Amino acid sequence: MDRLTRQLTQLAITVFGIVTVTFFLVRMIPGDPAQYMLGDYATEEALATLRAQLGLDRPVIVQYGLYALRALTGDFGASVVTGRPALEEILSSLPDSALLAFAGLAIAVVIGIPLGIVTAERQGSWSDLLIMVVALFGISFPVFWLGLASVLLFSQELKWFPALGASSGGGFLDQIHHLVLPAGVLGVSVAAYITRLTRSAMLEVLNQDYIRVARAMGVPQRRVVWRLALKNALVPILAIVGVTFAWSLGSAILIEVVFSRPGIGSMILKAVSARDYQLVQAGVLVLAVAVVLVNSLLDLAYGLVDPRLSAR
Amino acid sequence: MANPNLSVAPPPPVAPVPAPRPVALELRDLTTVFPGDDGPITVIDGISLAVRDGGTLAVVGESGSGKSMTFLSALGLVASPGRVQRGEVRIGGAEILGRTPEQLRRLRGAVVSMIFQDPLTALNPVFTIGEQIVEVLRAHSGLGRAAARARAVELLARVQIPDPSRRIDDYPHQLSGGQRQRVLIAMAIALSPKVLIADEPTTALDVTVQAQILDLLADLQAETGMALVLITHDLGLVARYADDVAVMYAGRLVEVGSIEEVFSAPRHPYTRALFRSIPRLDGPVDEELPAIEGQPPNVARLPPGCAFEPRCTLGHGRADCCTKRPLPLAGDRAGHRSACFHADRLDQMEAAR
Repeated sequence: MDRLTRQLTQLAITVFGIVTVTFFLVRMIPGDPAQYMLGDYATEEALATLRAQLGLDRPVIVQYGLYALRALTGDFGASVVTGRPALEEILSSLPDSALLAFAGLAIAVVIGIPLGIVTAERQGSWSDLLIMVVALFGISFPVFWLGLASVLLFSQELKWFPALGASSGGGFLDQIHHLVLPAGVLGVSVAAYITRLTRSAMLEVLNQDYIRVARAMGVPQRRVVWRLALKNALVPILAIVGVTFAWSLGSAILIEVVFSRPGIGSMILKAVSARDYQLVQAGVLVLAVAVVLVNSLLDLAYGLVDPRLSAR
Repeated sequence: MANPNLSVAPPPPVAPVPAPRPVALELRDLTTVFPGDDGPITVIDGISLAVRDGGTLAVVGESGSGKSMTFLSALGLVASPGRVQRGEVRIGGAEILGRTPEQLRRLRGAVVSMIFQDPLTALNPVFTIGEQIVEVLRAHSGLGRAAARARAVELLARVQIPDPSRRIDDYPHQLSGGQRQRVLIAMAIALSPKVLIADEPTTALDVTVQAQILDLLADLQAETGMALVLITHDLGLVARYADDVAVMYAGRLVEVGSIEEVFSAPRHPYTRALFRSIPRLDGPVDEELPAIEGQPPNVARLPPGCAFEPRCTLGHGRADCCTKRPLPLAGDRAGHRSACFHADRLDQMEAAR
């Protein structure tokens, strides 16, 4: 089986798993969609009718079978709130979330990887200690707290950036202006994580024999660190970026809520409170597939970095 | 009148006494310490050694005796927090220890090169062997990419890698252990160094390949006149390839001399014990080799006297061996020195046991 087929099979199995898990997970949320839609004063009869309409009166396992069969044809049901196909609703808000997540991840990579390399190179120095302490704070503070604090500082006090919304209808520069603060908060929070893991990947490589050999051969320190060592550390660093992509998507959801930005995050949040099962399922599925896709792409990239991996 | 000069017979040709070749690398009193819980730990202690152009010095001793550390110290490669505490390192007569890190870097790989024990881990797995040789060439010379690559092909051919213009684009994992060591040798000789330090170059290789690698080193040495330092614990190799031998124990030199002298009349009980533990081809098949009794020393807690005293069959418990600091390698005979209080009486002492 060649590489691509293997990747695709893996993807299919993962997606099937995600569909199954989210289906049952969503049904564990307490509350009844019919009750939610009709309000507290609905009669038992009206509730029963609505449940029958939505198929909620059948055994869960039957509901799952029907759902899975329809999912195979790309039909993930309709949102019970808007009546539009759930997948369509979610995909329409994907660009907003993707923009935020990628902008945040880009900031995190640009800050985190160089800092990780520099601190590994100067292990034990004051600059290493300082950066590591700051990074530890960055990891320890929840991203929504950083978001609220930055809104207070940069929007309320300094009035540099707007606090709310994405200016979706506005001009390009205006959209960027709205993006800076949420993407920055996300980026800094993820950068802390990338810095720490890049540092440990680099430290491990810098202790290898071949690095000692390069030094013994008089290769300049700059070349040793930024070329000979970095390329070796790139596989673990790419793996970290893959993991943090999932994490930045998750954080992007929190950030969307804090900054009242449109996106999958805010949509899923609303769907959960409305017990809009189909919408939640489609939302989680899209996020999960995005994570799996990005990681599959990274898997392919490993082979470009490390010749031993492409040989397999 | 005949020219008187004509009646004088020309002087008989005198066999020319070869002037001793210049010293390529010399260490004097080199001492390296690491910080420990109870003050600094001396890992190598007052090492003085020399190797001449074209000569081969073998440095032998157990693992942890400081063989490699001695030469890493000399090249400014001691990993922090270790540091060279005192001593001198001369290359071609010029002192280098006080030089800046950048000046030392320029010497490393160009004037003094090193090859290491394990060729499987000494090459960078994500670069082709060509890229790695070119990296060394370009670290020290202004060669352009194409010229450096052409030179790398030559070097691979010189270390007998077959089909070098194709193999240059191989990654290390595509090569055998012996070939990888050849690639490392190609890197080490790329800039025609004065001194090549080979740190257990064949320990990780199988026996037939060992001889090929050492013969290659000997050829290269004969061709370029470089000095060779062979760090090893294999006394068989020492006898075959070295001119001089230095024996180390617990970070100190215990015996230094020419191969002939040290092998025929070792003047330190540790050296004698090492010789006894070499298997003999003509010995009985089930012969049990005498191992050196006791534990290898912990350099953080050496006894106040001779470091070998606790394990020494001759000196153990003797008052002088237990209490007095070990002798510096004071001259007993020219060119053959030992750090044993009883160097002159070892034969009698052994016979008396």
